Amino acid sequence: MDCTAAGVAPRVDFALVGHPESWKAAADVFSALRGPDRIPLPDDELKDILPWIPPRAVCRVDVKSIADAEAHGLYIDSFIPPDRLDAACVRENLTRVRAAAAYAIKAGARIVSLGGFSSILIEGNFDQLPPRRSTIFTTGNTLTVAFIVQGIEKMCAQEGRSLRRSTLLVVGATGDVGSGCVRCLAPKVRRVLLHARNVERLRRLAAELEAEGVDVEIGTDLGSFSEEADVVVCAASLPSPSLLLGRVAPDALVCDAGYPKNLSPDAATSRATVFFGGLGQMTGGLKFDPDLQGILNRHPFPDVVHGCLLEGIALTLEGRFESFSRGRGAITPPHVMEIETIAARHGIVLAPFFNAAGPVTLQ
Amino acid sequence: METLMELKPPAECTSPTASIWQDVLAQAVTGELVAAMNYAALAEICDDPREAGEAREHAAIERAHAAAFMAAGRKIGVDVVSNVDGKHWKRLSGAFMGCVAERDTIGCLIVQEIMLESFALASYTRVANVAPGSLGKVFGAIAADEQEHADHAMAILKAERDANPDRFDDKLHRLHLEVMSTLAKMLAKDCRDGHCEVCVSSCVKPSLFEVSLSAAQLRGASLQQYLKTLDALGLPGEITLAWIAQLPV
Repeated sequence: MDCTAAGVAPRVDFALVGHPESWKAAADVFSALRGPDRIPLPDDELKDILPWIPPRAVCRVDVKSIADAEAHGLYIDSFIPPDRLDAACVRENLTRVRAAAAYAIKAGARIVSLGGFSSILIEGNFDQLPPRRSTIFTTGNTLTVAFIVQGIEKMCAQEGRSLRRSTLLVVGATGDVGSGCVRCLAPKVRRVLLHARNVERLRRLAAELEAEGVDVEIGTDLGSFSEEADVVVCAASLPSPSLLLGRVAPDALVCDAGYPKNLSPDAATSRATVFFGGLGQMTGGLKFDPDLQGILNRHPFPDVVHGCLLEGIALTLEGRFESFSRGRGAITPPHVMEIETIAARHGIVLAPFFNAAGPVTLQ
Repeated sequence: METLMELKPPAECTSPTASIWQDVLAQAVTGELVAAMNYAALAEICDDPREAGEAREHAAIERAHAAAFMAAGRKIGVDVVSNVDGKHWKRLSGAFMGCVAERDTIGCLIVQEIMLESFALASYTRVANVAPGSLGKVFGAIAADEQEHADHAMAILKAERDANPDRFDDKLHRLHLEVMSTLAKMLAKDCRDGHCEVCVSSCVKPSLFEVSLSAAQLRGASLQQYLKTLDALGLPGEITLAWIAQLPV
């Protein structure tokens, strides 16, 4: 940890803004903070208390690069209650994200990654964030896209699948992450199926791809596509994993890149290979103070973090304090290549494969 | 000749919820009287005559608040009792008097202005939003007064923390363990340690929903106000979050 002189606030290079993925995740953090001598907060008490907590740092984060750079930051939780992520709470949640951003600015962070729903709420409109002098914001979505694309390619290679002969379905295709994945993967597959709720946006994206010679089909209903997909990227959380049943090939490769992740491999797609996408691993070093390792980042492998948060860390280690990802569907293959090169230089690499059941082993 | 009864102002309303407001007011009056005692004791240890005068003035204001709450009770037809020796309030007052005994004026301000006032300000504001008629107005007006007190003390406490953050934070944490743990028990959804000795009959908390309040809501709002105050003083959020997480429920 960065031990500074007594009373001097430690340096804050970066801030990562997130929120609890589930009540279980929130309960685990509170249990850790309460310590082993106190009984865990009962669920009903946690649900009563958490919504009142003003956005604040949960822990300090120290990272080391394999290129000998190091940086110090904060993980800031907006404390959006996990059961209030829906559209009815947008205004309230936006207020929380703004307060979390204000906290990061006050702490002196030079760059802030907006993780999970935070960037979705801001929708690329950084003008919604509080006034700041020198703090830069990034959605972090470009590195998320990079890890999704890397995951698909690596998994295809490991399973002996031909990506080139695949039909790719992207769910949530017109969002920032979804459209970035489409632009990166479409030229590498046989056919592309684009699914989203907004038909106008689907048409615009399809036209862009068709101009590049890509074979595209669009649909707002998963059941409307003329063929099954064998490679699937879920860039948006599905209301129910069962929606994929019968819509994709039984042995499809499914990347769950939504947030929160909810595609259980045994619920919808028993023969499919389902893995969580968009995650990276810090190989140089990652420390939390207080030590919430494995609690804040609840993954079966160490030092695994969402790509959106890692983007801010990568840019800090590189000394590039800029709004690399600004949202609004502007992620292009050259951007993706640039951020994955930066990340790799500092030892930030694709995370090992896993899903809700644990590590994914090749069949 | 008019009888005493006839001279009494007419009750603004008597409703099935009057007994709930009676207990809510009893807690408020007790809190104000404890605050008045605290400020009076603080005046005795202030070396600066101007500061001592301000503390005496605050004590008088808190007594006036208690009187206003009692008058508000009479308006709705209830007699408001108070008990500064009720077990939670006695413990809170004891923490303050401990600072007085050590002639620790900063400790006194931390207990009264950061902890007790956070609770008072947040609770009064919530009550003001739902209490009927003049009762709501009284809670609202006193909440505004308490905010002014807190703002005044913040400048002194901020300067104290800036001078030596570690010493200040250690003291605050020690007092947090004593005072906020008591407040947390007081605001817990159930009184696990028995009767609070302020409510007139049984505990008022299970009935609060009848007036659109809840113990959980009052606790949440109080903790939020407390955390915001600590943020304004510059304490690290990750530290104060752990403090809150460790409170009894």
